[in-house]
Order: sequence, then structure tokens, then C-alpha cells
Amino acid sequence: MADVETIELVKDIDVDKYKYGFETDIESELAPKGLSEDIVRFISNKKNEPQWMLDWRLEAYRVWLNMDEPTWAKVSYPKIDFQDLHYYAAPKSTPAPKSLDEVDPKLLETYAKLGIPLKEQEILAGVRRQGERSDLDGESGGEYASGKVAVDAVFDSVSVVTTFKDELAKHGVIFCSISEALRTHPELVKQYLGSVVPQGDNFYAALNAAVFSDGSFVYVPPGVRCPMELSTYFRMNAKNTGQFERTLIIADKGSYVSYLEGCTAPTRDESQLHAAVVELIALDDAEIKYSTVQNWYPGDKDGKGGIYNFVTKRGDCRGPRSKISWTQVETGSAITWKYPSCILRGEESRGEFYSIAISNGRQQVDSGTKMIHLGRNTSSRIISKGIAAGRSDNTYRGLVSAHRKAINARNFTQCDSLLIGDKCGAHTVPYIESKTSTAQFEHEATTSKISDDQMFYCMSRGLSEEEAVALIVNGFVRDVLQQLPMEFMAETQKLIGISLEGSVG
Amino acid sequence: MIVPRTAAEEALGLSLPHRRMEDWKWTDLRRMVQAPYVRMPVTAKQADVDRLVRSSPFAAVKAQRIVFVNGELDASRSSLASSPSQALAVADDDVLLQINRKLEARGATLRLEGNASLPVEIVHVVTDDVPRGVATHHRIEVADGASATLIETYVGEGDYLSSAVVEVALGEGARLDRIKAERESVRATHLAFVKVSLAKGAILRDFTLSSGAALNRQDGSYIFEGKRADARISGAYLLGGKQHADTKLVVDHTVPSCTSRELFKVAMDGQSRGIFQGKAIVRPGAQKTDGKQSSHALLLSEEAEFDAKPELEIYADDVVCGHGATSGDLNHDHLFYLRSRGIPEKEAKSLLIAAFVGEAFDGIEHEGVREALTAYAEGWLARR
Repeated sequence: MADVETIELVKDIDVDKYKYGFETDIESELAPKGLSEDIVRFISNKKNEPQWMLDWRLEAYRVWLNMDEPTWAKVSYPKIDFQDLHYYAAPKSTPAPKSLDEVDPKLLETYAKLGIPLKEQEILAGVRRQGERSDLDGESGGEYASGKVAVDAVFDSVSVVTTFKDELAKHGVIFCSISEALRTHPELVKQYLGSVVPQGDNFYAALNAAVFSDGSFVYVPPGVRCPMELSTYFRMNAKNTGQFERTLIIADKGSYVSYLEGCTAPTRDESQLHAAVVELIALDDAEIKYSTVQNWYPGDKDGKGGIYNFVTKRGDCRGPRSKISWTQVETGSAITWKYPSCILRGEESRGEFYSIAISNGRQQVDSGTKMIHLGRNTSSRIISKGIAAGRSDNTYRGLVSAHRKAINARNFTQCDSLLIGDKCGAHTVPYIESKTSTAQFEHEATTSKISDDQMFYCMSRGLSEEEAVALIVNGFVRDVLQQLPMEFMAETQKLIGISLEGSVG
Repeated sequence: MIVPRTAAEEALGLSLPHRRMEDWKWTDLRRMVQAPYVRMPVTAKQADVDRLVRSSPFAAVKAQRIVFVNGELDASRSSLASSPSQALAVADDDVLLQINRKLEARGATLRLEGNASLPVEIVHVVTDDVPRGVATHHRIEVADGASATLIETYVGEGDYLSSAVVEVALGEGARLDRIKAERESVRATHLAFVKVSLAKGAILRDFTLSSGAALNRQDGSYIFEGKRADARISGAYLLGGKQHADTKLVVDHTVPSCTSRELFKVAMDGQSRGIFQGKAIVRPGAQKTDGKQSSHALLLSEEAEFDAKPELEIYADDVVCGHGATSGDLNHDHLFYLRSRGIPEKEAKSLLIAAFVGEAFDGIEHEGVREALTAYAEGWLARR
């Protein structure tokens, strides 16, 4: 079924057209180009941050000044001029949206195009308030109980609106933008911010710490199972901006939360920079499931434009029996540099990483994970599916390590690469470090192409070449697709079809 | 940042690689090689040389021999004449080659033709004397259609740095069975570099034992230059104490339709550390490549450590490539099975370790050599 839809979608769209490549004409407030202590102060001031936050940012900025851009990844791009970027952009009409009615209708159009659920749009558009009954609920039978998603929408640098806040508050879940959290729950932010990814962790994390403008904050209190999916949409709109958002998720003892982020950007000739930091903290018995569908603009056929996606994501399984699971579908960005990791500190904690990375055109992907086993009886699982087409390069880079005290650590890693065409490259660079004899690590990697037999079989049953490829690829990534929340599985299957269009024949 | 040169670097007149360099992240040569090793002629006692030559695991194997004592050809002990090798001509900036050149390596040039009935063994002996650098550099050519067995043995006593460079060229349809045994002194540093090129239809069977030196680093580069060539590269580490062994392999598929297999078995006891970095490159156009690599580590003590980096770099689509890496201790079920049949724990462990390591010997065609290696592994197990 889904495969048929994929084909339909592919037919609808011409090659080299990015579905989300529209630009919304909204007046935005920009910080002057360039980066200096003054800019850091400007951002902090804009957000009315407490003094300690500004000090924290300045410390990060000073560390950053002394750092070099990392060059070890298998990606090449012209040197970024960090002084030629705007480090702050906010839609002018909504400096601090207190009520939803204030939201610029053009923004809402944007979200409609992005495919934010209809009911969410209603709320965003101010047709009804959160908690009110919607006309749309009529047919589906009243309460929007099933499959609902709370959304935090981030436009350029600023969180515009967060939905379902009231209902979440009933359960004690805090879900808001990080600047709001700084005002309402400074003690939580102060306690956890930077505790997983410190300011000076790496070049881009330091940059982010200095200039991050917004992002999502989630706190799930002890014993609470978050009643709905939490989601953030990131959208880069303004020209020459860098987007630096920071996400902080804390799952207190025995809680559970599932979080999804989606990203898009308009089509532009010049490249845009995105350097986000995501920190996850799982305390005793808590579980965090973090899913990403990344569909930033990948640049055109010749590799012009596109997003540089330099992201630091790390989860800390701090408590015993905690669990963090990363699922990512990476189809966009000109360059992806991203390694969602798990620090398995608590006894019997577990880390998981499921990834689909698709590169086409001139895209370059260097992505993978780190599983750092520190506690006893910790376990981890890595399933990575890389698909390279066109003239792209797709690299899996990962680390699995067991500390001397990580008695009985277990890891299973599987990295499969699929090549479509003879102009692309697929690479696997895993690092395995075992410092204890009781750790058991298994790593397996394969590289292959779609076999002629598979193609022949599908095509002899009446599928076209492109349909056959989409079917086989969807089968190839099935293990990972299954890890995605239901609502996003079908969407992702379509996305895979779109990403691979023009790769055959 | 300018770091002052260490005594070893001063002596060698070059900068040693360190852990901030990707290829040396697990073997910090600057930190690990501290003593100033320079080339220094010494006179060896004949009794020492005799004893060391006899200590080669392959002493009982019937072979044509070439013996190098302290880096110099000992013609009186050699049954095979070889033309001396000239100074290293390749303009390679690899640090292991630079060290070899700085230590003014001597070596043999061999051209092997026809079907040799006896293996050729090059024995390298270093006697106990002042700490110094010893270097050899051999060039081996296997003529078109020829087949040969080449054994390289490294044995020694005392404190020294041994730099061993071997270049091998296999002609069209040639076959070489190469066996290298590193049994250097427990205080020695062994730095090896081997470069093998395979012409059309050539067959290589390559085995390396790493077991003697305190520090062993070997870089292997295997290049397929002609179609339908086939290389099987295997190795075994038997490490204990504070030994450190690091193998870095690059298997480079530049042409279509070649097959490569790598199998490394690493057994580590004490506080030893084993490292395996294997990289397979499939260049654009090298279609129909079949490449597989596996490394397996057995950690026999709490404090042993294994690091691996199996790497694939692929630019052609019609290929079958893969790698696997595992690490862990002995399988408790296997151990239980043997013990429940009345086999004492130590013996049961030895059986399992011998079976684990033995897999790497399986590909060795020469029966005498295979038996000699099995016997060596048994001896190692008995001593542990």
C-alpha cells in the first residue's frame, strides 16, 4: 500500500524539486551579522535571560574562540565564514506570543504546508482554544484521544507556539520552549543544561551554547507516562541565518516520553548552517524515545545550496534500568554531521540507535552513534541502514566502548549499506573498544546493491523500475521503520520514495 | 603547537606519530618509544646466534634459508644467495618507511621463479647487546605463473627496535604463501611495513603471528592491480603481560573481479592490548569485488583490552563487501560442556583457546608450517 503511495508521490513531483522549498514572506527581526561577545549579550538580552545564563553563554563563546573546526568527518565543503551569518532571527510580529491569536497567519500557512495535523492548525490559527471541542472531532467520535501530538513549533530561532500545554500540565508534564522554561523553571534548566553536552564539548556544541536562541524543553515528572507524542517542527526561513536550537529533555524516575522532531527549510542558493544540541537525561527506570525525521533542503542537483547540519545529540542513561532510544530518518541536508549517542551510566541501562540515512544528488552524510558503556549489565543495539544514490557519499561512523567497570556489557551492531548507481560511495567506520573481558560486542556490516534477481522478480510482476526500487528499499529499511511512532511511519515511507527519485535509469 | 622532540625522536631524526593522529590513536608511538634507538654495529656471539636461530618456530621445517643477524646478512648461515637490496627507493612518506630508511636498512632481493619445492625462510636474529635500532628491507618478486612459500621469522633477545619492511610483487597467475612469525624479544619494539601488489589472477595466502615483542605495530598494504586476483590474509595474536600489538591493514581493490578475505584471531591475557584496524577500499569501477573481513578477540583476563576499527570505503555498486568484529571472553556454555565431561578447567580453556586461534592457521597450506604454529600456540598456552 504505502509503496504504491510512494510511487504516486514520486510521479507527482518533478525531479530536483524540494517539496518544502517555499519561503514565507514574514518580516523578521535579525541580529546584525557576525559573532562577538556583544551578539551573545544581545541574544541573551532579547530573551530576558538571568545573569547566570549569560555568563554560561559567554564562557562557551570564549571556549569556542580557541577551538578548531573538526575535519575528521568524511565530508568536504567550503570553509564557513562564521562572521557572515546572522545568529538571531525572529519573526517580528510575534516577539513573545502569549496568546495564540497573535500568531501571524503567514506562519500558520507555513505550518499547513509542512503538514502539521489539521487540528493543530486549528489551534495555531486561533479557531479554537486548546481544550475546546473542534468541529473536526465530530466524525471521528469526540475526544481527540488517539494519535494526538503536542507540537512545539520553532521558526528560525524562536519557538512560536506550543500546543496541548494545558492537557500536558494536568499530568505534570512541562513542555515549552527553552526560553520559557528559563523563566518558569530556571532551577531545572540550571541543574540539567550542559550536564550531558558541556559547553566546550566540541566546536559546534560550543557555538550552540554561546548563541542558541531557542528550542524545546521537556520535563516528565516521576512515574508519569507522557500521554501523547511530543513533537517539534524546526523551520529555517530567513536568509543567511544559522539556526542554533537547544533541546533538553528530562525523564524523571520511572517516567516515559516519546519525542519527535521534524525539520525543513526553504530552497536557497547559499548554504545555511544548523548547529543544534540535544540533551536527554533519563533517571532511574525512565525511558526516552527520540525520533527525528530530518528533511532539510539538500541542495540542488549540482550540490548548490542546502543545509549544513552539524548536530550534537547525546543521551545520558543516568539511573539504573533507564533506556534511551534514538531513531533517525535522515534524508535531507547537503551535509550531515551527526552522532546521537548514549552514555550508559546506570546499571542495566540500555541504549538503542536506529537509523536510515539516505543520500542522493551531491549530499554528504557522515552519521552514526556512540554507545559508551560505563555501568554493569548495560546493553546497546545499533541498526543502521545507509542508502547512497546519485553522486552522494554516505558514511556510518560509530563507537562502541566498554569501560573497565562495565561488567557484562553487551552490544550488537548492524550496519547495512545499499548503493544505487556507480557514482556514489558508502563507507563504514566503526570503532570498537573493549576494556573488560566480560563485555560482549558483535559488529556486522555489509554493503551491496539491489540484486538483479530482486529487480527481475518485481518487474516481472508488472512493477516499473522505479516502483521496484522503492519497494526493495522500503524492505531494506524495514527494521528501522518499525521503530518509528505509528503516525510517522507512512510519512517516512513516502519521504524515502521522494528522496530516491531520479536515482534509477 | 610545537612539542619538544623526545630522546627517541632526536635519535631517529624524525617526529614519531602520536594518538592525536587517526591511524595511531591506539598506539601512541611518541609515548611508547622513549629510548634513543640508533643504528649501531655490534659483534654477535656465535653461540647466541645458533641458539636464536634454533628458537625459530620453524627450525624443524625443511627450507632454503637466508639469515640476517643484527640487521646484516650472514652469508655463512644462508643456503640461498640473494642480491643485496639497495636503499629504499620508494618516495613514501609513511613514518614506518622513514624509520626504516633512517636506520639504513639492509635486505635481500629475491626473484622466485617456477614451482619451488622448498619454502624460503628469511630468519632475522637480534642478539642481546646495547639498545639499538635494527632494520631490514626485502624485496620479493614472484614471477608470472610461479609459486612459492616465503617464511619470515623474527627472533631476538634484549632491548631493541626492529624495523622490518617487505615489498612483495606477485606476477600474473603467481602464487605466494607468505608466513610471518614475530617472536621478538619481550623488551623489543617491532615496527613492520609490508606492501604486496597482485597482478592478474595472482593468489596470495598471507599469515602473520604476533606474539613476542613488547610493542608490535604492523602496517599492511595489499593492492589488487590485475583482475581476478585472490588474497586471503589472516593473523593470530598471542599476547600476555603488558604486550601491545596493533595491525593496520589496507586492502585496496583498484580493479574489478578480485576477492579478498581477512581473518584475525586475537587472544589476550594479562594486561595486554590487541588492536585491529582493517580497511577495505573499493575504488570507482572495481565492480564485482568480493571482500570480507572479520576480527575476533578473546579476552582471557579482566585487564586485557581490545580495540577494533574495521572500515569499508566503497565507490562501486556491484560489490559484495562486509565485515564482522566480535569481542568477549570464553563461551561459558562451551566451557561447561567440556567440564561436565570431566575435563579440568585449565585444560578445557586451553582446548577452547587453541580451537579459537587455530582457525587462523587453517588457511596455511604447508603442513610443516601449520604444525609448527600449532605447536607454538600449544607452548604459549602451557606457559600462560
